[in-house]
Order: sequence, then structure tokens, then C-alpha cells
Amino acid sequence: MKVNIKIMVNGDPYFVQVSPFRTLLDVLREDIGLTGTKKGCGEGECGACTVLMDGKPVNSCLFLAVQAEGKEITTIEGLAAGNLHPVQEAFVAKGAIQCGYCSPGFILTAWALLKTNPHPTEEEITTAISGNICRCTGYQKIVEAILDAAQRLQGGVGNV
Amino acid sequence: MRLRDCKEVLEMSEFNIIGKRVPQKDAVEKSTGAAQYVTDLKLPGMLYGKILRSPYPHASILCIDTTRAKRLPGVKSVITFSDTPQIKFGPLVDDWYILAKDKVRFIGEEVAAVAAVDEDTAREAIELIRVEYEELPAVFTPGEAIQPGAPIINPEYPNNVVSHFKVERGDVEQAFREADLVIGDEFYANQVYQAYMESMACIAQSDGRGHLTLWLPSQVPSKTRMSYAKALGIQPRDIRVIRPHVGGGFGAKMEYDADLICALLATNTGRPVKIVNTRMEDFEAGNPRVPMSFDLRLAFKKDGTLLAKDLKALAGNGGRTVYGPAIMSTACYRIDSLYRIPNLRADGRLVYTNTVPTACFRGFGNAQATFALESLLDMAAHELGIEPAELRIKNSFNNGDTSPHGWFISTSGLADTIEQATQAAGWNDKKRNKTTRRGIGLACTNHVSGNRGFYRPFDGSSAILRVGESGQAVLIQGEAEIGQGQNTVYAMLAAEAAGLRYEDVTVAQVDTLIGPFGLGSFASRGTVLGGQAVIAAGKDAKRKLLAEASSMFNIPVEKLDIREGVVCRLPEQTKMATVAEVASHYMFRQGGCPLTGEGVYVPDTVVPDPVTKIGNISPVYCFATHIAEVEVDTETGQVKVLNYFASHDVGKILNPVGLEGQVEGGVVQGLGWALMEDMVTVNGKVQNPTFLDYRIPGVRDIGKIHVSFVETNDPKGPYGAKGIGEPALNPVTAAVANAIYDAVGVRIKSLPITPEKILAALEHTCML
Repeated sequence: MKVNIKIMVNGDPYFVQVSPFRTLLDVLREDIGLTGTKKGCGEGECGACTVLMDGKPVNSCLFLAVQAEGKEITTIEGLAAGNLHPVQEAFVAKGAIQCGYCSPGFILTAWALLKTNPHPTEEEITTAISGNICRCTGYQKIVEAILDAAQRLQGGVGNV
Repeated sequence: MRLRDCKEVLEMSEFNIIGKRVPQKDAVEKSTGAAQYVTDLKLPGMLYGKILRSPYPHASILCIDTTRAKRLPGVKSVITFSDTPQIKFGPLVDDWYILAKDKVRFIGEEVAAVAAVDEDTAREAIELIRVEYEELPAVFTPGEAIQPGAPIINPEYPNNVVSHFKVERGDVEQAFREADLVIGDEFYANQVYQAYMESMACIAQSDGRGHLTLWLPSQVPSKTRMSYAKALGIQPRDIRVIRPHVGGGFGAKMEYDADLICALLATNTGRPVKIVNTRMEDFEAGNPRVPMSFDLRLAFKKDGTLLAKDLKALAGNGGRTVYGPAIMSTACYRIDSLYRIPNLRADGRLVYTNTVPTACFRGFGNAQATFALESLLDMAAHELGIEPAELRIKNSFNNGDTSPHGWFISTSGLADTIEQATQAAGWNDKKRNKTTRRGIGLACTNHVSGNRGFYRPFDGSSAILRVGESGQAVLIQGEAEIGQGQNTVYAMLAAEAAGLRYEDVTVAQVDTLIGPFGLGSFASRGTVLGGQAVIAAGKDAKRKLLAEASSMFNIPVEKLDIREGVVCRLPEQTKMATVAEVASHYMFRQGGCPLTGEGVYVPDTVVPDPVTKIGNISPVYCFATHIAEVEVDTETGQVKVLNYFASHDVGKILNPVGLEGQVEGGVVQGLGWALMEDMVTVNGKVQNPTFLDYRIPGVRDIGKIHVSFVETNDPKGPYGAKGIGEPALNPVTAAVANAIYDAVGVRIKSLPITPEKILAALEHTCML
């Protein structure tokens, strides 16, 4: 038995027919074709599948697609149109991206942090990203990038 | 960017781009989600493959019934051993079949496979396959597997020993007799999982005429074709490998059986097939680190001079052989190029067990041996009453030394890294003014930048730099970017050598149909071997550009130079033309053929002699010193890493951002191994095959990492550089173990150093 649902992703409506057990992650990647959201573990442990649901970061592998009905979903593809968002700019500039598989999740988590807390301390940053795993960078440059992103946003380089 | 005039550029420095902080070439597309990995790709008509894996560690297969699976709507192919080419193969030992023949040797071994229209159907079909097994007695540890009467896993190896490595130099017995101090102990380096974020994946497509295209996140795209061709009974030319972005590898992503299963399913169905491991499959049937136990003895003079080393190693191969033999031999003798030790003996055995096959993981055996040696050196320093840093400096190799195994160390910055790291850490001060429960520990490492023995037919690398009509350049090579930033360094080297602007250089994704045969990412070889080839290609392109400009302007070649995309006349440095103008002139004169620089680098490395083991496996050798500063909670046994200092002899700093990233990442991966990570296996079954139960470091698990570099400008390195990937991890476990000893006086000799082990050791110390 499949159900018809409508979900809003990056401001666009999508009508999809899904099994009630299909995760939001699989629908985003497989049915809608937004592959910027990554699958690292499928169990909510790595944060690679982080998307924003009504502005809050969630693990899309732990949500069923049907639960996303009526919610606004933002994926990495929807963060900025055309130019890079200052958070993305900072991740690039600071060398916070190596293999890049975890990067969309980290960037969206950082975006959500800076939205509610524009001047986070290092401690607040580590708390915010403690649910995201990176195996390449050793995190130091990711923390630096988020501090840098906060400055970039303050400087009016971009708007969250 | 505006074109700087030649004079301005020439006055800046010896280099235009080398040494600058350059973000990764493809970081922008990775930041937007546009970067495509194999897991992201979808081809028209694509099917999804799933593998039925063995639930038993050792069992005979009595029969397999696929009838129900085949009948399930949406299933396009179900295969078992009889549907495969039935050829034995393997990267080092021919003990693989694509699907199990008549028995299984580890939990997770591939027994049957399905291709279906979607993943759910494929999964359902897998559950409909009935396999009748008869369990066989199994053996799980190398120690048990070498006992007489142990179950035999591969009848061709009746004592379960896959490989036995022996080497001896000097007179070890005499050296031990005459030594002032003999110290020895046993150490254990456990099995850990690479935990790259993109799990193993493959897409295969057949053209119906015997030609296969594989999209692989591979570290060795060209080399896999050789083993895969053998397994499939076809020629390497019939296999094209395309390597899109790769979500990390750390050694694991070399030959992998699921790729071949995917290839067979694609051939059978005539449609593209995709197989992606679940994270659990990746834990249970990936390519984790070779676990090793060591019995190590060292002999010293009173003054700390190292006289002899005697090492016995016992390593676990798992149920079939990946790269275990080379990893075990590496553990036996690579470390002998770290300190001058005239008398050496090693005896290592690699043993089949009914567990997951083990393979390459950053450090390739040297990381395991470094834990043992650098722990024991610390113990010796205490016995001898010599400062641990001094003991190492006293015995370190110097520029121009040759190791007892013939390895020529053109430059060694070991002593300088010790100096740099101890200064950065405030070592002397912290040693003198000890704080309760806080400790500081030091460990060194050496490593290669390339491994001549890894692929016997050749060593070296090659590259093609194609300069188009707009001055844009494409670098085509066969080495494998897997996230470490290699393509960025290649673009920098190409720009520097050819005189192009960095932003004009693109590095093509690897496609074996088009590019050269690159050996790939292993042995920390990319920067040095691939880099030298890129420089050679850049120089060749520059030579051709200069020749073209010479004929365009009727100026002798010696009177021309190119820098940052501008051709100028010497000595007055007048701008003559842009590279775009010269390259388009060349192209239009040549019937549209772009100007192409070809670069070849064949190092003077020597394959180790199979009997004497004398050789010289790498063009340059890397050195590093790490210092860990920890705090131990004696109530809970918890270790907190406060600060971490890493100093590396990198030859020459090419891209500081990339180097720091490699070291910081390597240190954190090493901290995970030292303190947290362990594949807990009971009766051949991995007990913690999830990121919930197998914890890798998160941002909260690490201290502040301070990275510094020593430049030795090795004459054999690209602009003097050396490799970095593996040395970044090698010394971490020992540095942490030594720091814990300094903090609370307990010596943990088995990884990982868990709170339980520390508490037990503390309790034991109290009772004494």
C-alpha cells in the first residue's frame, strides 16, 4: 500500500507516492533526486543526512516521508540560490571540507545554530555539531569555519 | 583575476602558488551538494543489487534454493556460485571466488545475489533464498588458529599460516648477550574499522558485447581492472573504471568483492546495477585493519645506543586474503628505517581465522608496529634514565643514511621534528613540573611515500596536461583523489610547473578509458609519485608553449618565460602574449589538436629481493613526532586529551591547508583507535556493527591539535615534498599510551586503552 503525499522541499511542492515506511531521506535522494543529502548510516548516528525541517536540523533518515507532510524542508541544495551562503563560503575557505560526504549535514547544522545564536562560543559550536560525524578533518577546521561564518554573517556578507 | 604583469610576478617569490593556503579545488561543489558520489548516481533503467551473506563463520554449503526469489515480481536476476566464472583470484592470494563455492569462511561472506527493480524488492528476494548449511568447527583468533588440530580454513594452507615473513641482519644473539639493557614485552594492536562516511558502493553496466563500465569509489581504479579481469575471465581492456567523488577510503577501498557481483548482475540483466553496502554490511564485510600481536625485545648500551631489535608478530588475516601478507611484512620491518639498529630480526606470521577479511588501513602495518616500538622505547627510556626525546634523537637516522634493509634515506627530519614538537608542547617544562593525573607522552614515526613492492609490474606515475584555446588546462591522470586534497595539490603543481594560473587548471575525474594507468592512493604516494609526474607534464607543456611563442614572435626560447598565464620576454620581462593566445595559435595550426604536456616519473626505487628483502621501496621517507598531553580520571579511568602536538617532516610545504587537514584528521583517527575504537567480535560475529555501538571520535572527544612542519627539501620529492597521509596517524596510539603512563604510572599495552583497562591496571598497581 502506497500513499500520496505532498512535501515542500526548498520552496517547491513535490507530489510523491510512497510506502508508509519510506524515510524522508530516501524520498529526497531517490524519488526527488536531491542527492546532496547523504546517507552515512541510516540510523541517526552520523548526521550526514541532516536537513532542516521548519528551520530545525533533523536526521532525515529517522523521519518517515509521511511525517514531512505540511513541513518546510530545506536541503543543502536549497540553502543558497546561485552564490554560496556565508556558511558554505566559510567551510570552503577554512579547509573544513575534505571528502565532503559529511559537509552538507555540517553546513545545515551550522546554519541552524547561527540562525538562533549568531555569536556562538566554541563550546556552543561543539555542542551543536556533536551529532555530526566527520572522519577526515578532525573537526578543528569545521569549528574554525563556523566561527568564521558567524563573523561573515555579522559583517553583512550574507543573510541567514 | 587580473593578469599581473611579469615583473610583478617574478619579484614575488620563487613560487607563484606552491606554499599558499589553497582550499580544496572541489570544495565549492561539495559545499552545495552538487558533488556526485557513486552512491548518488542513477542511470536509466538501473536495477538494485543485494547480497545474501553467510550467517555462519565456517560452514559447508549443502544446497541453495533460489526458486522463490526468482519468482518474485520485479526480480531480474538471482545468482549463486554456478552462475559465476568460477575462477579463483585475489589481490595477493588466489583464495577468492566471486560467490562462495561449497563453503563459507566468515560471517558476511557472499553466497548469492539478486538484482531487482528497487531495493525493497531486492531485499525481499534475498530473504526468499534458502541455503542449507552444515556448520564446521571454526577458529577466531590467530593464536588459536596456529595450534595443532585447529580447524583448517583453506586446505591449501594446512596450518592456517597464509604467509610467514623472516628477516635478519647482523648478529642479534650476540647483540642481546652484550647489551647493558634488554627490555621486552607483548603488545596488541586491535582490529578497527576505517569508518569512511560513504560506504562501499558500485554501479556496473555492460554493453552486451563483453565490455563493462564500473563506477567505483576506488583508491586504485586502474589496478582493480587487473584483478577484476582475472576474476571475470576477461581482459583488462574490457573493463572501464570511472571514479567520481569518493567519500573517504583510508585504505579500505581497493579490490572489493561486491564490485564483481555487481558486474555479473549487470552482465546477466543487460541493465545497469547498483550495489551500496548498508553500514552494517560495511562493518561486517568491509576491509578492516589487520589485528596484530607483537612480542618485541630491544637491546641497548648504557648510553642509550640501540643495539638490536627482535620482533615476533602474529597477525589475523580473516577468512580470505586481501592485503594481509604485505601489511604483516610491513609491520615486521618498515620501522627499521626510523632508528639506526644494526642487529635486527623479525619473524611474522599471518594466519587465517573465521572472521572478516582484513586489509589496508592508514599506516599499513607500520601503525601497528609503531605502537609496540614507541611504547617499548618509552619503557626503555625510564629503565635507562634517559629522557625519552633524547633517546630517540640519539638513535635517529640522518640525511644520506641507508637502513640495514637497503632503504636510502635521502633526508631525515626526525631529530628536527622532535625538537619542534617538544618546543611547541613545552615538553621540558611539563616534564619537570608534573601535575597530578596529567601526563605528557611522545612518539615518533617514519613512513614511505610510495611502495615499490605493492604492484610488481611498475612503480611511478604519469600525467597529461592539455592546454586549450582559452588557456584552460585539464590535467588527466590516473591517481585517486579520495577526499584528501590530492587534486588540489596536483592543480597547484601543474600551474607552477607550466606557468599557468591555478584557477585555469582543472583536474579530470579518473576514467581508465582515457587517462594513464595510475597506481592510486596507497602508501602515502600521491603527492610524491603523482606529483612528480604532474610537474613533468607541466614542464613539457611549458616547453611546447615556449617553442610556439618563440616561432610566433621570432624570439629564441631562452629569452622567454611563462608565469601565471603570461608569456614574457627576458630579461626585461615584457609581456608578449597570454597562454591562451599561444595555446590557441598552436591548436589552430595543428588542425585543432590541443597543446599537450606529457609527464612521466619513474623513481629509482628497488623491489625488495624476495629472499634477502634488500631493496629501497620509496623515493623519499617521511618522519614525524607527536606529543599527547592527557588527563586521567583515576575514579572512572576516563582519559581526556588536553592538547596534542604533531610535527611532521613534509619535505616542502605545498599546501598548508591540505597538510594541516591531513594531520588533524590523522590524529583524530588515531585518537579513536587509541582510546575508543574496537571491533568486538564474538564467535566470528561483530557485536558492534553500528556507529551507535562502534564509537568514532566526535568533536567532543578531542583536544586542541597543534600542527607544525619541518622542511627538509628532499631532492627526490616534488619541489622537495614528501607524503603525509599515513604518518599523520602512525604515532598517535603510542603517544597517548606514553602520556597515560606519565600521568598515572600504568602502562597499557593493548589497544584500545579503555577506562576498564586503566582502572584494572590502577587497581593492580595499588595492590602491589
